[in-house]
Amino acid sequence: MRTRLAVAILVVAGVIAFMFGTLGASARSDETQAAQQKRGGTLRIARQEDSQSFDKTNVFQNESIWLIQQINESLYTVGRDGKTLAPWLATSYKVSHGGKKYTLKLRKGVRFSNGQPMTAADVKFSIDDARAQDKGWGYLDVAIKNIKAPNKSTVVFNLKYPWAPFLADLALFANGIIPKNFAGQKRAEFYKHPIGTGPFMWDKRVVGQTVTFKRNPYYWQKGKPYLDRVTWSYVSDQNTRELQLRGGQIDVNEFPPFASIKKLQNTSGVKMFLFPSTRTDYMGMNQAYAPLKDRHVRRAISYMIDRAAILKSILFGYGKVANSFMPPQVPYYDPNSPGIQYNPAKAKAEMAKSKYKNGFTVEMLVGAGATDENKVAQVLQQALKQIKINVKFRQVDTSTEFSQIQEGKYQLGFSYWTMDIADPDELVTFAVDPKGGGANSFFTGYKNPKVIALTKQAQRERNPAKRRSLYAQIQRLAAGDAFMAFLFYSPFRYATTDKVNGFYVTPLGNYHLEDVWLS
Amino acid sequence: MSLAAYVARRLLLMVPVVLGVTILVFFLIHLVPGDPARTMLGTHATPKRVQLLHEEWGLDEPLPVQYERFMGRLVRGDLGTSLFYSVSAGRLVVERLPVTLWLIGLGALFSVLIAVPLAVLAAARRDHPTDHAIRAVPLVGLGFPAFWIGIMLLLAFALNSGRLFPVGGYGEGFTGHLHSMILPALTVALGISPILIRSLRASLLEILESDYITTARSKGLTERRVMVRHALRNGLISMVSVLAVAIGFLVGGTLIVEQVFALPGIGQLMFNAILQRDFPVVQAVALVFAIMVVLVYLLADIAHAALDPRVRFD
Repeated sequence: MRTRLAVAILVVAGVIAFMFGTLGASARSDETQAAQQKRGGTLRIARQEDSQSFDKTNVFQNESIWLIQQINESLYTVGRDGKTLAPWLATSYKVSHGGKKYTLKLRKGVRFSNGQPMTAADVKFSIDDARAQDKGWGYLDVAIKNIKAPNKSTVVFNLKYPWAPFLADLALFANGIIPKNFAGQKRAEFYKHPIGTGPFMWDKRVVGQTVTFKRNPYYWQKGKPYLDRVTWSYVSDQNTRELQLRGGQIDVNEFPPFASIKKLQNTSGVKMFLFPSTRTDYMGMNQAYAPLKDRHVRRAISYMIDRAAILKSILFGYGKVANSFMPPQVPYYDPNSPGIQYNPAKAKAEMAKSKYKNGFTVEMLVGAGATDENKVAQVLQQALKQIKINVKFRQVDTSTEFSQIQEGKYQLGFSYWTMDIADPDELVTFAVDPKGGGANSFFTGYKNPKVIALTKQAQRERNPAKRRSLYAQIQRLAAGDAFMAFLFYSPFRYATTDKVNGFYVTPLGNYHLEDVWLS
Repeated sequence: MSLAAYVARRLLLMVPVVLGVTILVFFLIHLVPGDPARTMLGTHATPKRVQLLHEEWGLDEPLPVQYERFMGRLVRGDLGTSLFYSVSAGRLVVERLPVTLWLIGLGALFSVLIAVPLAVLAAARRDHPTDHAIRAVPLVGLGFPAFWIGIMLLLAFALNSGRLFPVGGYGEGFTGHLHSMILPALTVALGISPILIRSLRASLLEILESDYITTARSKGLTERRVMVRHALRNGLISMVSVLAVAIGFLVGGTLIVEQVFALPGIGQLMFNAILQRDFPVVQAVALVFAIMVVLVYLLADIAHAALDPRVRFD
């Protein structure tokens, strides 16, 4: 090590004056090895944020959730398409009492990473604890009346009322299974290094730097996981993450910028993945500001957005123009929803029908340093000028931007959404039911009694065909009201070295690392 | 006044400075818009959840009450608990501090190693092409942003040219840290050394024209001996002051270098804490920054006195 260091210092001293001339092509070998599932090795993932907490019931940060899912598994899991559910720690379910009772059979032979067998008592404890968390995800389990564990392998959920998203809610990471009574630890202590049935178990963490999990020797899927360890390192700078990938210092680079996609696709030794996601970017229109309460004004604004041009210039074409506030990877998304699309003539017609024929001035909240958002803002400013809407920017740091949108201290503002469950209810309630979702309809103040009634009906409708019809109506009405200007759907971007095999990300953002192996 | 008494007096004077910083930072960070609960809850920030978190963290109390609690904890050596990580803010700072100290220390050392020989050479060959080159070329380091220099160094020495250094990270063990820190420290040094070179060169040129240098030369001393034994020592006095100011700025300005090289230092901790409105961590880091800056200036004054016998501690 010391010899290498000394050589390194000497070489730097010698070539420092010529450092800018040494930038040549990477000398990486382009050889690809034959695909064979191999055991062993450490997968090194570099990501843009550090994990906040491993308390699955109270954390909302994706960079925590995606790690937790490697340790704590749920009774059902989300399929690769993000729309279907597959049995996981449960093997089957039976519905009775008019949709108010679910009886689940648990998978046999499942053990926690401490060797303790998983039983129905653990399931009851885990979900009772999750639904008790007022400041966390407990609200998604609100339909549960009680949970019974009649024997070691059977769990019975009695619901207050028929609840269509029930299985999707059970698949939520917050409802992941942990040992009863936190395996004898205090709650806070347990979640510092949680125990679960997942393919990996806790190894170590250096706060602000790395989190490492190691293979769970008791994992129920025979032969899996293939990896010995997984390490997530926090590398905030996107250029450094890319260089680390090219230099073989990491195996997976999370979210390279859109501008780098083509380059990475053409880099030898690198695989660039674009996984379909549930991310929808949108511009909120706060109806507390009088002109934006006018439906015609909102429709006019929405008609003036050239989404295809934005997609091409800012996302380099890697995405899809949005036609609904629901993204395509959500069940019951309606591809035929007539979402308002670019049409300046119709925009002018809508403005003519509004109370603001002569235009008005509106303030747009923009995150300082949010490059893509600033570009979209400038495109919209120019477009809206054509219908006499004068857009003024108010730049704040992204944290303030986030808070001010949520507090309703904005007129026009940008945000995005990703799904946590494979059911539209979470998103739809949040987006269009101001009280039910508790977020004042995506913080816009949108309130359409008919849409709210349809949302509540869809929650309890168990017939899939009827539910589809209800969600189609909701999407159509909401799009027509232009309560927000949905912009585009974008993919999850991951670049890996060509040594990484079996890596995929579901539209919800989570990954199954038990399937990953290194060649 | 003895050195010990001087240091003791300066350390005592540090208390009101640090206290002032805590008051300023506490009220400023609480007065800027943004809410840690909303940042943490993301799009799921319903009023009820926000209120529950505010109550848990004591953010529902009036600001003076919150400050009183902060100071109460501080006198017991407790810097509070990070809202984001739910671990001790003091522990976070202590874990990150060595990274930043490595960066500043090695950066300062490299900048001196680059600046002193080049400044001596420039002064010795005044108005010669070598002098012009030494004055002009290092300005690259001053003119280009640190993140660009950092990425260029990474490309040149970590990715190409045999991958001599890691692409970021802090490494493990002393040699690992040293290996990881060379490129970041070089980035820092390339930013500081142009100022040091100019300062030291100007000072040397002035000194080389003084009477005692003429006397030394008339005694038949070689030019090299005149420069090293008589001119350089006096020239370094002004450079120490410039270096101290540069390090003072670096204490709070390592963020960019830390980000480019993925170094988990306190600059990066402070930046994230501000974005997340993690008040206890912001306050803890600001406190450490204040102490470090005061200590750097104290050390510079001591070094100044050691180099210049005319300086007395008073």
